[in-house]
Amino acid sequence: MSTVHAATESHGDHTEHAAEDPHFGKATGGKIAMWMFIAQDGMSFGGLLFAYGVLRAIATDWPVPADVLGIGLTAFATFLLICSSLTMVFAVLAAQEKNQANLVKYLSLTILGGVIFLGIQAYEYTHLVGEGVGFVNSSFQGEQLNSLFGTTFYAVTGFHGLHVLSGVIYLTCILVGAMKGKYTQGGDSGSPVELVGLFWHFVDLVWILVFTFVYLL
Amino acid sequence: MEDHSTASHDDGHGISEAHPKSAGQTKRQMYVTIFLILGFLTFLEIFVPDVYGAEWSGTTKMLLLCILAIVKAGLVAAYFMHLNHEAKWTRWIAYTPIYMGFAVIIIMLESLYR
Repeated sequence: MSTVHAATESHGDHTEHAAEDPHFGKATGGKIAMWMFIAQDGMSFGGLLFAYGVLRAIATDWPVPADVLGIGLTAFATFLLICSSLTMVFAVLAAQEKNQANLVKYLSLTILGGVIFLGIQAYEYTHLVGEGVGFVNSSFQGEQLNSLFGTTFYAVTGFHGLHVLSGVIYLTCILVGAMKGKYTQGGDSGSPVELVGLFWHFVDLVWILVFTFVYLL
Repeated sequence: MEDHSTASHDDGHGISEAHPKSAGQTKRQMYVTIFLILGFLTFLEIFVPDVYGAEWSGTTKMLLLCILAIVKAGLVAAYFMHLNHEAKWTRWIAYTPIYMGFAVIIIMLESLYR
């Protein structure tokens, strides 16, 4: 039975294999924990996005986001994050196939995608602040905007940007381990790469929703 | 005695190695397909408000964008996060934000009718 097979013959390391219980699922404790974290973090973003929706719905003078924000550049950033999700899933495959060179390559590309995304966000923030869109007050090209536009924009995208930054740091730690060959030993040794992959895909998923609701709608 | 010359065209990469490679290749192709679909849906999303915005009403535009976003998010969750292969309970944990979303919507709607 596959559930029994999932309980790998570990050599002293009890952290990454599933329990030897036919009624237990196939997921490792780490994977379940990461999903629980993702569920909680998803609710944090959900709360922010719902609050944004309510504030925008009851406002009478909300600007059209496309008039204030750089849609083209952010669309490229969205595409970049989707590319980094692809390289991330390739990295997980490489860990499963015990291919260290590919694992390092794809992890590095994922980190690069995240760093460029952060760079684009930073550029957009400085450009917007220069135009007058602040956290407390918002104006654009001399015209006063609903002050909540800037507040909600920076709160939602800033919270997401912090997740991207954390993800880049987390990925870098995994990259260091990957370069030492820790995750290409076969069995469940590639599990940490899968876990960082889950977090990174979550960050991408949230951005897909944020981009739609904050920039396009 | 071991005989390594049983396969006459064996150049060191036996048939047994081709299966893991082709399984990996199939997975890679699927991931690239999903990536291309995501790219296309992103492209559609950009042009829904711009090109067709003048013709479609605000509600239609909102619905279309929401559907596109949910489909994209679903694809990432199912294929990149491997949710379609996970056990039931893992999926139910992952759906928690959706349950809470419904709860929040109900609470918000209720408060609007006070």
